[in-house]
Amino acid sequence: MIGFLAFSLRRAGQGLMRNGLMTVAATATMALMLLLLSGFWVIRSGLAAGLEFVEQKVEIVADLRDDASPVEVTALRERVATFPEVAAVGYVSKDEALSRFREYLASQGEEDLTQYLGDNPLRASLEVTLRDPRDFAPVIEKLRAEPAVESAKDIGSLVDRVLTVTEVLRTAGVVVLIIVGIIVLFIVVNTIRLAVVARAEEIDVMRLVGASDAFIRWPFVFEGAFIGLLGAALALGALALAADPLGRFMFDFFRLLPLQLGTLARDVTVLVLATGVGLGVLGSWISVRTYLIK
Amino acid sequence: MTIAPPRTTAPSSGPRYAQPPDPPPEASRSLRERLLRRRSDDPSTNRAVVVLRDVTKAYPGGNVALRDVDLVVPEGDFVFLVGPSGAGKSTIIKLLIRDELATRGEVYVDGHDLARLPRRQVPRIRRRIGIVFQDYKLLPRKSVFENVAFALEVTGTPRRRIRPAVERVIALVGLGAQADQLPSTLSGGEQQRTAIARALVHDPRVIIADEPTGNLDPLISWEIIQLLLRINELGVTVLMATHDAEVVTALRKRVVALEEGRVVRDETGGAYHRQD
Repeated sequence: MIGFLAFSLRRAGQGLMRNGLMTVAATATMALMLLLLSGFWVIRSGLAAGLEFVEQKVEIVADLRDDASPVEVTALRERVATFPEVAAVGYVSKDEALSRFREYLASQGEEDLTQYLGDNPLRASLEVTLRDPRDFAPVIEKLRAEPAVESAKDIGSLVDRVLTVTEVLRTAGVVVLIIVGIIVLFIVVNTIRLAVVARAEEIDVMRLVGASDAFIRWPFVFEGAFIGLLGAALALGALALAADPLGRFMFDFFRLLPLQLGTLARDVTVLVLATGVGLGVLGSWISVRTYLIK
Repeated sequence: MTIAPPRTTAPSSGPRYAQPPDPPPEASRSLRERLLRRRSDDPSTNRAVVVLRDVTKAYPGGNVALRDVDLVVPEGDFVFLVGPSGAGKSTIIKLLIRDELATRGEVYVDGHDLARLPRRQVPRIRRRIGIVFQDYKLLPRKSVFENVAFALEVTGTPRRRIRPAVERVIALVGLGAQADQLPSTLSGGEQQRTAIARALVHDPRVIIADEPTGNLDPLISWEIIQLLLRINELGVTVLMATHDAEVVTALRKRVVALEEGRVVRDETGGAYHRQD
């Protein structure tokens, strides 16, 4: 077994060195394809985070009765926060509601109409953020049952519209990633096939002198794994160099979004390494199989 | 130039190969032969290294390469396989190394029914067959020594056993002085000797040579034939497909002629062409 491993690794090393041009071509292709794949992965992660952000913007606003006591309101707030569907509950007082309205008018370049008001007509409200916007209906129902709640607006059509858009975009992201993945698969496997076919003569001799399938296959599988590893290292190196300027841009861009840059970097590293080695091994395995015993 | 046919088998007369021949009297065999024969335990493998029984090979698409071929090659025999291109010589070789399976009929090599041989056993059978091609199939970036050693390396032979085995066969084919040269610096004859050394290094029961002299001029061809005869004298069965009428006719060995996938002639001491 040790002898077999040593043989396979030695042969793999020889194969890589003696077919330098093919090794370089296959490694470069592998690195570029992995860059492409990881680029699309990052874009899709950003898109997913952005969509999640948009979905979280969907909230239920429950207007409170003016005569509800602060104790009642605090108790209600605490109770709503324990609903399983609810992610967060915010409280907007009457004054805050008025000042928000003023800001809104100012931002629209309109005259501040509130100065003509004697009294603050706006109600205090609870802003309820949901874990999943699809669960709005039971929450609205429960809120409406509360005595302190004056009214809770039905947001059904808004939720539908937002979810339709986010679902389409999310699916599109996954589809594009899958297509890119398939393209990468075919290009890498074919490149490795070229490297194997270039040595058909050698494989033929091995077959004829009675080499077992394992002795024919494994050196090529090791070569494929090595090309995958090298390509992954190159791709990750390029990503690391680009990470600093890119990271600053991404940080500005995604600061508001629930995107974990640390997690993303880890995901991309795992993706690039696993895809590189996996495709290298798969490509060799498939390509050599043609030459084995029928 | 005269060729002395080696006396490894008892003199025989007439086409006696349709069925496995009766064993000649023990006394008429060489010591070497008897030693070789004792190696195998299964009595049915004793006398025939290669057996084709009623073999038909049809390729997908309807091309029938062999039709009802019967061929028994006893151990120590030297057989010429002759016939025009496309007659089925290459198909027989492919069947023997189990690159292809017979559509109908049975193929035995060294007593093993190739149709029933598990895939894992195929390489072991191939090691009992040394195969030599017209185009040598040497690896251009390996020296003579490395080309021969390659056959042992890729079959998992321990490294300490490789050097003595390779040196032995390289000496046998007379290439001791060229062992470190690359194939491109050798003559065609020397390249073919290298290929023969590689075929011998596993100590095969049979050497199959597919037009081994096809690319060589007549003088060098004779040298290669002499080498094959010597190997045959050492007890290795030789099956040689050839177009070389001069060689076949001069040696008066057993000749099996194929035409359109059928055996049309099988005679001991035959010529390349039918002599009626």
